[in-house]
Amino acid sequence: MNSDKKRIPLKEGLWTIPSSPHEEPQLIGSKCLSCGEIFFPNKVKGRCINCQGENLEDIKLSRRGKIYSFTVVMIQPPVYYRGPVPYAFGYVELPEGVRVETLFTGCDFEDLRIGMDAELVIEKLYADDENNEVMTYKFRPIKL
Amino acid sequence: MKTISELRGMRPVYIAGVGLTPFRRYKDEEWYDFGSRAILEALKNAEMVWGDIQAAFLGSVYQGTGSGHQAISEVGLTGIPIINVENACSSSTVALRLAYQSVATELYDVCLAGGFEKMPRKGTFLSTAWREWERYMGFNVQLANYALGAQRYMEEYGATEEDFARVTVKNRKNGALNPRAIFQKEVTIEEVLNSRMIAKPMHLLNCCPLADGGVAYIVCSGDKLKSKNKKVAIATSVLTSGTYGLSGTGAGNEAYGGGSVKIHNIDVAELAAKQAWEVSGYGPEDIDIFEAYDTMSPSELWSIEDMGFCKKGEAPHLLREGMFDIDGKLPVNTDGGLMSCGHPLGATGGRQVCEIYWQLREEAGPRQVAGAKIGMCHTKGAGPNSCVTILKR
Repeated sequence: MNSDKKRIPLKEGLWTIPSSPHEEPQLIGSKCLSCGEIFFPNKVKGRCINCQGENLEDIKLSRRGKIYSFTVVMIQPPVYYRGPVPYAFGYVELPEGVRVETLFTGCDFEDLRIGMDAELVIEKLYADDENNEVMTYKFRPIKL
Repeated sequence: MKTISELRGMRPVYIAGVGLTPFRRYKDEEWYDFGSRAILEALKNAEMVWGDIQAAFLGSVYQGTGSGHQAISEVGLTGIPIINVENACSSSTVALRLAYQSVATELYDVCLAGGFEKMPRKGTFLSTAWREWERYMGFNVQLANYALGAQRYMEEYGATEEDFARVTVKNRKNGALNPRAIFQKEVTIEEVLNSRMIAKPMHLLNCCPLADGGVAYIVCSGDKLKSKNKKVAIATSVLTSGTYGLSGTGAGNEAYGGGSVKIHNIDVAELAAKQAWEVSGYGPEDIDIFEAYDTMSPSELWSIEDMGFCKKGEAPHLLREGMFDIDGKLPVNTDGGLMSCGHPLGATGGRQVCEIYWQLREEAGPRQVAGAKIGMCHTKGAGPNSCVTILKR
């Protein structure tokens, strides 16, 4: 059994890497200091596409939000997606005023509802050809 | 930029003739085969010859470089400018817009416009609307993005799966009267709801079928028309392409719910409609027939509402009351729409234009709407784009 199996992010810079065991990862967004608009993913080019300002700063986004919309996909998407099917994705609205497109996990998809609270998790998306775990962000409905 | 009255003061532009191939799977033909047939059909319909054409604008999405050139090389080569147009599903109506502008501004007197598509057979519908990481996340399923919008529509306005099914039923009923449609068989609400789930709440029969096809139209000034009978003029052609905050068809975060929470700019389809009403001088009450963009059942309802034919959330009720039937107050998709005809991306907009053209000339046969004088079509395209065209007798 190859114990050198690595965990690699689907894409660098989408979420913070905790520096201590007590810290939880957070998604990294951008805030426009001119118009107040918030973007996810962050704007690496430093440009606000709402007001055309170039005065942005990175911000760590709230870990919890409400499900704005979701769907459960029953078909295999062409080529790229290598996660499980069926799968669920949609949008979570975070309190600072941004909607994040996300996969959903950790629940029976039949239980998904608009308005549910959900929290950020970093989880395996698929295993690549070298058996590394490709990691991504997902949101998990919070059970009360 | 020209003012509204300057735009209205430009010379009238007419559609002299159209050609539309049946929409189906063309196993043994390429786009230049059936595409060139559409061009020849349009020339014949317009009583013109290839030598009359002064410029060509042809749309396609997946056919690759020089797609228009290839189709025209089956017809004639006279050194005229040929421009290939790619605006996703709105390519052929955007091509019409370019021809319209060229003739209206007197740059040319006779133009060819249109589009064609032989849809890719396997797997990849490569779309630049999603970044690579988003495709790995499984976000790039267009049907699923419409499903996300449908979920919100149900939540906000109480629309039901039955409402969505009713769109398919109406359009398949109309398609049964259209010899060019890929599906010419009616379906029931039960059949739609029992068809397999693709992405909740969208069933298979809420999705338009894929198809291949080609369309062409001859666009010209009044003095070049061979027949002065039943003249069909282009009242306006509008294109809007993406407003920050809230926009339609797929482009990452802005699609169907991912739009901004704080910024509420006008939706790209609503903006196109607003401009179309302004320039044409018409209002929703003036339209006799409408080709809505029904790539999936709910998008027909959104198309109707975004144009301003009724309030948001109202379309399902009016549909149930028969308002959008062929014999209703505002017939929508009399040729069966994308739902029956199928969706060759580069030709879909043009098919809408042809149906309006035939309806206005009383040539729609069993689909004929009595007394149709002003028709409108709305083509959306990933980008996003919204192209609105109004034709009048």
